[in-house]
Amino acid sequence: MSEIPMNTGEMQVSGRRLSDLVKLVARHRVIAVLAFMSVFPFIMPYEALAVNILIYGLFALGFNMVFGYMGVLSFGHAAFFGMGSYGTGIAIVHFGAPWPVAIGLGVVVAGITAMIMGAMAIRSRGIYFAMVTLALAQCVYYLIYQMSDWSGGEDGLTGVTIGEIDLGVVSFNLLDPTAKYYFMFTFVALAVFIFSRILASPFGAVLEAIRENENRARACGYNVQLTKWITFVISGLFCGLAGALNAIHLSVVPIESLHYHLSGQAVMMALLGGMGTFFGPFVGAMAFLLLEDVITLITIHWQLFLGITFMIFVLFFPKGIWGSILHWVSR
Amino acid sequence: MNSISASASDFLRAEHVTMRYGGFTALSDVSVSFPKGQLTAIIGPNGAGKGTLFNVLSGAFPPSEGKVIYEGADITGTPQHKFARLGIAKSFQITNVFPQLSAQENVRIAIQALSCRYDIWSPRSGLKAMQEQAAQLLDMVGLTDHHHRLAANLAHGEQRSLEIAMALACDPRLLLLDEPTAGMSPEETVVMMDLITQLASERTVILVEHKMKLVMGICNRLIVLHHGEFLAEGTPDDIRNNDEVRRVYLGQGNH
Amino acid sequence: MDGITLNLFALQLFTGLALGSVFVLLAVGLSLIFGLLTVVNFAHGAFYMVGAYVGVFVLGLTGNFWFTLAAVPVVVGSMGVVVERYLVRPLYGRGIDYPLLLTFGLGMALVEVVRIVYGLEGVPFDTPKELRGAVDLGFGFFPLYRLFLIGITTVLVMVLWLFIEKTSYGLVIRAGARDPEIVRVLGIDISKVWLIVFAIGTGVAGLAGVLSAPMRSVIPDMGSTVLVEAFVVTVVGGMGSLVGAVVAGLLVGVVVSMTSLFWPSLTDLSMFALMAAVLLVRPQGLFGKKGLMG
Repeated sequence: MSEIPMNTGEMQVSGRRLSDLVKLVARHRVIAVLAFMSVFPFIMPYEALAVNILIYGLFALGFNMVFGYMGVLSFGHAAFFGMGSYGTGIAIVHFGAPWPVAIGLGVVVAGITAMIMGAMAIRSRGIYFAMVTLALAQCVYYLIYQMSDWSGGEDGLTGVTIGEIDLGVVSFNLLDPTAKYYFMFTFVALAVFIFSRILASPFGAVLEAIRENENRARACGYNVQLTKWITFVISGLFCGLAGALNAIHLSVVPIESLHYHLSGQAVMMALLGGMGTFFGPFVGAMAFLLLEDVITLITIHWQLFLGITFMIFVLFFPKGIWGSILHWVSR
Repeated sequence: MNSISASASDFLRAEHVTMRYGGFTALSDVSVSFPKGQLTAIIGPNGAGKGTLFNVLSGAFPPSEGKVIYEGADITGTPQHKFARLGIAKSFQITNVFPQLSAQENVRIAIQALSCRYDIWSPRSGLKAMQEQAAQLLDMVGLTDHHHRLAANLAHGEQRSLEIAMALACDPRLLLLDEPTAGMSPEETVVMMDLITQLASERTVILVEHKMKLVMGICNRLIVLHHGEFLAEGTPDDIRNNDEVRRVYLGQGNH
Repeated sequence: MDGITLNLFALQLFTGLALGSVFVLLAVGLSLIFGLLTVVNFAHGAFYMVGAYVGVFVLGLTGNFWFTLAAVPVVVGSMGVVVERYLVRPLYGRGIDYPLLLTFGLGMALVEVVRIVYGLEGVPFDTPKELRGAVDLGFGFFPLYRLFLIGITTVLVMVLWLFIEKTSYGLVIRAGARDPEIVRVLGIDISKVWLIVFAIGTGVAGLAGVLSAPMRSVIPDMGSTVLVEAFVVTVVGGMGSLVGAVVAGLLVGVVVSMTSLFWPSLTDLSMFALMAAVLLVRPQGLFGKKGLMG
């Protein structure tokens, strides 16, 4: 940057400070995410957008475990998000289940979907995996579409409302946007904590090993197929939670929650933010949704802008926003 | 078909191994055995089937026909990931490490494969014993100053040493090395050969090598393949004096 | 089975073959590109859609269906040339996922460009006069246009097959699919081969678009479902196999068409059931090489 050589010493100092800060943030990544998110609604133009970023950030986070950390590209994650939504929605609408049960059920249903899809897709390697997962997810889409008595078919599932929440000590109403945000925040915070633990675990190391060199991991003694399947299912659980929260957030489950375009959104958010980084998915979700919010004010052709932006990132900034920052700081 | 008798003392044995790819036969009815505690080299000119035999022995793929017997048990078709747990480790011909991880993490992951493969909860940083073991292995292969460098940033010879360290992680009783000095400078080659000699004093080592001269000095036994068939076996002296070997191998260009 | 059901069965079989013809064209292009470039073209559905719209445009300009049919693959193929040269090529050697991601973004942008030009509503595309009506096949009347579709697909596949198997250029393509190094050693510019193959693949996708325009409505989103169908066919047939693309395309077409006859409510799901069965029994696809799958 600087053309004056005498300044380099000073710049190194400030650079070191900056990288110290980044290291600090990276070391306490859970706290950093939560601290930021707890004040997040106050910096966003409106709370619903903050809730969206929370939910889609979680979705992209779950997806990133497979794509960013294990290095396997899936185009089927909409199935987990969508089944999480429908699981929760159907429990509330058709069975009048209390909200904790409904959310739990959504996560379980997403997990079971991931188990089945994973078992079928995991035998296919590399590039095939993206196609197979996309097709299988689309199969789930048509299946739910057909079951219109349960799912509402094309119109989606309406009436997923839980209104007043009474926790004994406190009670609040989800119609209050701020209350809703912190309700969602609690779940996401828990998920982020668990996610971080998994990444920091010995299992997390195996994921990276598979990403770096699948054959070597196998020669080391890891059952690569089984590890991939387990990761796929864990990732599905996180995405299922995101879907479950989205059903409550929207009060409806649109059939689009299962469409592969949504899988594509997870891919784009993860890549825009920085795949294989902890903050990347949330950064990506924020960039994506904020841009969408701004661009759609100007033109209805947001998708053109998005498509081109995404291509530019793939071509020139494959590390994504947060990944590029990390790279720049660590130099 | 040859001098190999199926004695119980054989540590690893290939029985009538044939490998076909489509219409091409890479290995044809090869039966060889590897006694315990010896350093055996498999040699042969290009296209002899050394690499194929190595892959069959190390479980990369099962043979079209025949069996692989290890410590008296048939291990033909055993999935690759179970080999480390059987005490069989290998290094690859093409350098095969985890490039974007540190050298120490490379080795630690290899060590971890023996004990905790599916622990998704306890923190990795608590695995102190594994880290120390990894550090020791790195010291042993001569990477003392490079524990925290990314594997991708190591020199070629250092990456190969790292691979040996990873192979040693499971404390193998049988070590399979596929052309461990490929692409190395003469200096690096000398260091690697010393290391292999040292390793062979404690375990059974099978080495695939293209350069015959390199292994003559260090190995106990040699197995020579030619055109996918067994040609000869014996001590380095036997092989040196074997006319057939001379004809197909040594005569063909001085390796 | 009495005569009427048998006739219905035969008619439905032909309907399936016509449907399958479109699948064949899509999968052949996808498979060809993958076989040589190891690129999964996620914009394949978008090129199909663009083909239909270029058809609408050219037909409106000239009023000649046959000219349109010839012009569309040339136009869409040329677009493919630009895309391969300037967008996909910089990504070779950067990991197999990147071209896929790029084409995904490209597909999205292309759909939106068409929306800007033609709007969200569908545009009509009339069946050409010469191909209207139905022919008596002995067991019932079958739409002439669909028969034409089966015919032109057969011819096209034959031409492609002859091109790849019998010409010296095809030899280079086959060699390149096995090992790009060999082609380079022979002193042939492999990047030119890639460019041409990408152009052929996208051109055929565009042709499939304009050919199905009279049967399916021409809307900007038409490529979205088609992409999934093409993937299913490719997974069933085996990635990178032309024979697989043809057999699987027809098979999927017939399965879908038969399901709609016997269990109408399961029509949309039938092709996925077929795919699931293939994945379980033969994960590399019916004609796929083992190497791609674990």
